Amino acid sequence: MKLFIITFCFVFTIVFLLAVPGSVSSGDKYQEMINCDLHAGPCTQSLPEITVTLDVTPRPVKALQNLFFRVTLSGKQLTSTKDPFIDLGMPGMNMGPNRVQLKSAGGNSYEGQGVIVKCPSGRRTWQATVTIPDAGQTEFIFDVIY
Amino acid sequence: MLSTETLFLLYLSTGFTIGFGHCIGMCGPIVVSFSLNLKEKSIFIPQLLYHLGRITTYAILGAVVAAAGSLTMITANIDAIQKGVMIFTGALIMILGLAMTGWVPLGKVFGDHSSPGGFISKGFGKLLPKQSTLVYLPLGLLLGLLPCGPVYTALLGAARAGMDAGSTHQGVLTGMGLMAAFGLGTVPALFLVAKLADMGWLKSRAIIYKIGAGLMIIVGLLFIVKAIRY
Repeated sequence: MKLFIITFCFVFTIVFLLAVPGSVSSGDKYQEMINCDLHAGPCTQSLPEITVTLDVTPRPVKALQNLFFRVTLSGKQLTSTKDPFIDLGMPGMNMGPNRVQLKSAGGNSYEGQGVIVKCPSGRRTWQATVTIPDAGQTEFIFDVIY
Repeated sequence: MLSTETLFLLYLSTGFTIGFGHCIGMCGPIVVSFSLNLKEKSIFIPQLLYHLGRITTYAILGAVVAAAGSLTMITANIDAIQKGVMIFTGALIMILGLAMTGWVPLGKVFGDHSSPGGFISKGFGKLLPKQSTLVYLPLGLLLGLLPCGPVYTALLGAARAGMDAGSTHQGVLTGMGLMAAFGLGTVPALFLVAKLADMGWLKSRAIIYKIGAGLMIIVGLLFIVKAIRY
């Protein structure tokens, strides 16, 4: 009985510590990799001779809601006839293939629709890998609201 | 666009690779808990029933999102249920852990060698003589609702396949089949983990059982904490 009480005290201490936000194991070591604040507005990354701007709306960017992705290119003209696409995932965790196929929206802009799913681990750092056929790919790492 | 056969293979292989990466970390504690709790009994049928239940739930979800043509519409409605399932899972793992310590007489609930007439077993006993084993099927059905990132991603694909299908009927069948293929793909990894926890050398050591029970209680608590934060 004494052992039982001690164990329960121990267990409830752990629960208390874990339940208090920001105490033990707040958790997402990948937050340091964030290179883009999509909640605030579009982000830009560079490829050789091409600048890639990614915008996601509506803002702030939330999981499990329909999102519109817009990629705008500037610099060298594309030689490929294939449209760019975006692969959504989490750094360091395989979440399965989640591709947003983009279509030309006129000029150097491409648009598509997609959903960022929710990870029960609580990690909120997501990665959008934008691939420009025949030109390369670039990564936008950002926070998502759950 | 990919053919339906290619999509099925893609979902099966995705489930397989996700199983060995993501699922072992996230759902491994559940199958290990079942495995440890079965002690001397064979894990094969209980695990089979659990996975059958889980795959059935995935298939139903696949059919629903394919019919709706949207994942977000469905998740908005089952969010609270998923949270409840996560809390239930945490509580279940904790109870199984406590049962292993001997502090909770779980046999009175599920039925075992000393108490074959547990109240859940009695209910299922009217259906089949294999009393305590059958409980793993409804557990799998329920735990298939656990919130899971890769399952959501697979459901996104099922919703798209539903939209691309020629008719609602065809879409529902495709969505159902794709999710079943995905679930089937995750089975080998989880079964392997369950089998590793079922090794004889582990069972022969009471101290390992006690440590396992302690870990299960902690893992169960973590599930509950995650559910509260979800």
